[in-house]
Amino acid sequence: MPWVSLLILVPLAAAVVLGVLPARERRAARGVALIGTLATLAISIIVVALFDRDMAVMQQVDHLDWIPAAGVSWDVGVDGISIWLVLLTTVIFTLGTIAACQRLPERRGPAFLALIMLAQAALLGLFTAGDLILFYVFWEFMLIPFALLIWNWGGDDRRGAGMIFVVYTMAGSLLMLVAIIATALTAMDATGELSFLIRDMQGVAFGEATSTILLAGFLIAFAIKIPLWPFHGWLPRAYSQAPIVVTILLAAVMSKAGVYGLLRIGVPVFPEGIGNLLIPVAILALIGIVYGSLLAWRAPTMRLLVGYSSVAHLGFIVLGIIVIDRMAAQGAVLQMINHGIVAAAAFAVVMVISRGTGTGDMDRLGGLAKGAPRLAVAFLFVTMAALALPGSNAFVGEFFILGGVFDQYAWMAVIAMLGVIYAAVYMLRMYQGTMNGPARGVTDDGRAAEMGARDAIILVPLILMMMWIALWPGSLVGATRASTDLALAPAQVAEGRPVEQIGVLPARAAMTPATDPAERP
Amino acid sequence: MNAGAALTLYVMAAVTVAAIVLAVVPLPASARRLPEAIGMAGIVATLAITVTQWGERQVAFSGELRIDRFGLLMTWVIMIAALATLLLGWGEPAAAGRRREFTGLVLAAATGMMLTVMSGDLITLFIGIELLSVSLYILCAMEVARERSLESGLKYLITGSIGTALLVYGFALLYGVTGTTSLAGIAARLDSVGGLASDPLLIAAIVLIVVALGFKASAVPFHMWTPDVYEGAPTPVTAFMGTGTKAAAMGAFLLLFTGATSQASGDWRGLIGALAVATMVVGNVGALLQDNVKRMLAWSSIAQAGYLLIGVAVGTTAGAEALIYYLFAYVAMTLAAFAIVILREREVEDGDQLAAMAGYGRARPWAGVVMTLAMVSLAGFPPFAGFVGKFLLFGSAVDAGMAWLAIVGAVASVISVVYYLRVVIVMWGTPADGRSNERRLRVPPSVATVAVAGAVAIVALAIAAQPMLDLCADAARALIIP
Repeated sequence: MPWVSLLILVPLAAAVVLGVLPARERRAARGVALIGTLATLAISIIVVALFDRDMAVMQQVDHLDWIPAAGVSWDVGVDGISIWLVLLTTVIFTLGTIAACQRLPERRGPAFLALIMLAQAALLGLFTAGDLILFYVFWEFMLIPFALLIWNWGGDDRRGAGMIFVVYTMAGSLLMLVAIIATALTAMDATGELSFLIRDMQGVAFGEATSTILLAGFLIAFAIKIPLWPFHGWLPRAYSQAPIVVTILLAAVMSKAGVYGLLRIGVPVFPEGIGNLLIPVAILALIGIVYGSLLAWRAPTMRLLVGYSSVAHLGFIVLGIIVIDRMAAQGAVLQMINHGIVAAAAFAVVMVISRGTGTGDMDRLGGLAKGAPRLAVAFLFVTMAALALPGSNAFVGEFFILGGVFDQYAWMAVIAMLGVIYAAVYMLRMYQGTMNGPARGVTDDGRAAEMGARDAIILVPLILMMMWIALWPGSLVGATRASTDLALAPAQVAEGRPVEQIGVLPARAAMTPATDPAERP
Repeated sequence: MNAGAALTLYVMAAVTVAAIVLAVVPLPASARRLPEAIGMAGIVATLAITVTQWGERQVAFSGELRIDRFGLLMTWVIMIAALATLLLGWGEPAAAGRRREFTGLVLAAATGMMLTVMSGDLITLFIGIELLSVSLYILCAMEVARERSLESGLKYLITGSIGTALLVYGFALLYGVTGTTSLAGIAARLDSVGGLASDPLLIAAIVLIVVALGFKASAVPFHMWTPDVYEGAPTPVTAFMGTGTKAAAMGAFLLLFTGATSQASGDWRGLIGALAVATMVVGNVGALLQDNVKRMLAWSSIAQAGYLLIGVAVGTTAGAEALIYYLFAYVAMTLAAFAIVILREREVEDGDQLAAMAGYGRARPWAGVVMTLAMVSLAGFPPFAGFVGKFLLFGSAVDAGMAWLAIVGAVASVISVVYYLRVVIVMWGTPADGRSNERRLRVPPSVATVAVAGAVAIVALAIAAQPMLDLCADAARALIIP
């Protein structure tokens, strides 16, 4: 079975069915959305079960020519970098769909759920695409459902927020399209064959100058999507204006698109260019870590606080990728998953509090723990994970990243450590400000904000996943190692790193044949 | 002379004459739709004939008319636009009373467009462009009782005449340089005589022709007439001008530059490239400020002409191939958008204002979906036809060493996102004063057909891009066959 293709087609089909449902059929819409998202989750579990963790290149590849004359094809598969992101996407979207179904107000008919399904299809497509044009197609396409979700169901400033979100992202990505075309045509000069397959481009030596220019074209798009400082202007407005369920999806899953692109395309395809852009990108990431943390510290609302903390956390992930160190890269992949889970859980807590108290302003909240002890416990778990307390899942990821960065550039690790300290400051501010101290903004000690069964359905699985990763990070890291080693190797060689740091010699990497669809397990 | 080769021309001429004759003959009420029926039958017959003629080039009238894959595929674009125009005008209240002239004039314009793209000679090309222009001057001023319509016709007449005059001058100079009016002869002459390519007289001819065709294709800085004319003309006519005329003008560009004067491409690549850049930038920025959907679509058609001109500026068959594909996509997107505007216009006063669209997506979800698809695809979002077309155009530019064209195109596309998506936001937003439920008419099936067919084509052209591109590649290659 072409499981990976089904992963994209099933939510797409669910979206189409939801699209033709009459607006009043809310019960049927819930059923279709839940079946669609659970089926996608099941398929992703099958894909994980079939995954061969020793294989470095893309596996379970489905290949079908789309526009052969232009070298464009439907080419999807998974490897160690994408496998956990696929699972993260299906899990978070399942929880998000449940949350959306629980409170499907009058205005949110099937259309709301249809757009969530479309977003899921686009993100899964992005994380599995093996063809650059297909990657671009999903990259751009996901904007449409997210923008429509913000415009139709967002807060007071939804139009401005949605428009800024779209225009920012488009500005980067259309330049990426030009870079994609230029990359394929440059590669064609070397290989004599027009192909947009990422694996075909990996072996091509572009030369340092060309490589740097092409990489810069991609980096702008990635930097905006991540967002890397100073390209983060769209984030606060989009995160605070989107419906909270959509904010969960944006922060947990969509924010991984940029860093994923960096590791999937930026580092392996342009190894010669990475060396030139390593320090500038790392500096932007470091600024992002410090700046995002400081903004989170003074953020007026909980949503902005978590949003800005995302800027800081993603700075860590970028740093882990860009220093081209094996350990740091594994940490970066792990941290993508960790941040996805923690950000989803943090926004879910925000959702519960805002619903119970009617506000998300830090100034107007306090002392909720008295009336909402169960929520306080869940929140404490999330806080510990978010500030990467030793023993938490995020600690493992940050430790890998910082360890790897320290090996290569000790000064970067020192600055990045600031982010770890700040994280404790802003996360504890959020926890203490809302949970401890005298009760504020509520009349019933905050009992209205207590976590009920419907919230537990969403928060408990997230907390269980955090504990899983905290206790057994090897189960994730082991599967990513082969692929991250392969992705980094050419750049490590180009940078002249010592041989013992390189996981797999590029000579072997170049010889590794592209997976034939017929050989699929 | 091969009489059968020009069959499409005879058919179109016959139905045009028939429609015009029927327009002046008194008809019983039961036969009042007769001209339209005849026109549509003629168009369908023409489409069928072009399918049977698909193959190597045949010539008619001693080479004045070339029936090759390029002409035939471009005829498809034009005839689809004409057919859609007749459907959109079906029962149009504004055309009541003079519907029969409407049909005859649309058919005459379509015949002129077909003549343009099938021409093998400067004279035929000129006659084709004149036939389409004169018909459109009248069509624009059809609503004689409405001042805007008359103004629109007059403006189009004046600017169009200037364009025509420049075109004749350009053709005369081109004849002076090469000593022939045959497109194949011009190409052969430029090929054989060295030094002719940078002859000042040839450059003058090229500049004049570029300017003249720029008027027809509404390229910046010859675009000033477009927004006023588009807004003032009856909307089905606007749709026809936006699609058919654009296709004919682009066909003329390809025949004259990529085809006939490709040996002198050094003289015109930069010029047309600059025109494309100006058109993309000004068109997209101009569209930002519009509150009238027809006017916005007029500016958008200017911007789209800029993208299309990339395909000419690169001067390669790959560019021509991408251009022809994008023309199909553009026609589908534009017709779908205009169909929705027409629907709204018939329902409310000032239905072409953006404000009138508020909440329309909620009132008529299918119309909202069609408009959203059209706007999203025009903005170049994947995976729709507009994206595939832009991708191919940008690709041909990078391939031809004109990456700057692709970069400007990409930046211009970002600007375009703002005004295209504004329509989407307004459509799905809440109606400002509850107007969306006012005067809900039964949807005319002919208009709905165009809207839905356009939307289906937007998706189908993207999915079946390869078979379509094979056809476009054949057509593009036919251009350079001597």
